[in-house]
Amino acid sequence: MKKVSMYTLSTCPWCKKTKKFFAEQNVPFDYIDYDLADEATQQRIISDMERHRASGFPFVMIENDIVEGYNPDRYAKLLGL
Amino acid sequence: MTVDSRKKALHHFFEKVVDALGYKFTPDEEMADFLLEQEVMLEKKHGIPFCPCQPITHERAHDMTVVCPCIPFHRKHFDLMKRCWCGLFVHKDVTDPDKLPQIPLSETGLA
Repeated sequence: MKKVSMYTLSTCPWCKKTKKFFAEQNVPFDYIDYDLADEATQQRIISDMERHRASGFPFVMIENDIVEGYNPDRYAKLLGL
Repeated sequence: MTVDSRKKALHHFFEKVVDALGYKFTPDEEMADFLLEQEVMLEKKHGIPFCPCQPITHERAHDMTVVCPCIPFHRKHFDLMKRCWCGLFVHKDVTDPDKLPQIPLSETGLA
C-alpha cells in the first residue's frame, strides 16, 4: 500500500471529505491540520506546498505524487483502487 | 452578536459583493452554511473572515488575498473553475456545484 499523508485545515469541508474518502477506502493516512499546528510546523508546510507551487488545501501526498484539492478520482487512480 | 446573526450579516454583505463579480452563493445550502460558520469562527479568532480552505500565513500581503470574498485576487483561476476555491461562491449560471472540481492553479496554465 502506498503511503498517504496530507496537509489539511480543520475549517475546510473539502479536507474533511478527503479524510472521509481514504477512511472509507480503508487506506491508512497521516495528516496535519495546518491551522492547529505550531508555527514551525506551519512554516514547514508552507515551504512544502510552495515547492510544489500549491496554495490551497487539502494537499495530499500519495508516495511521491501530489494532489492539490479534493480529487477522489485521482486519489483512486494513484492508489490503483 | 451570535454566530447565526453574524452568518446572516456576512451572507447579506457577501451577496452584494459577489453579485457584481458575476458570482452567487453555492446552491448547496448545507455547504454554504458550514463555510459561513467557519468564517465566523475565523473572524472571531483573527478579526477577519478568512477563506476556510486556504492558509493564513501571517504575512499581510498574502493574507489579504484570502479574505472572503477573495474572488478579485484569484479572478482568472476562479473564473476557469466557475467557483471559488472553497466553493462558497459559484458562477451565476451554475446549477450543480458538485460537477465543479477544484483545479490547482498550477494545472490551469495561468500561473
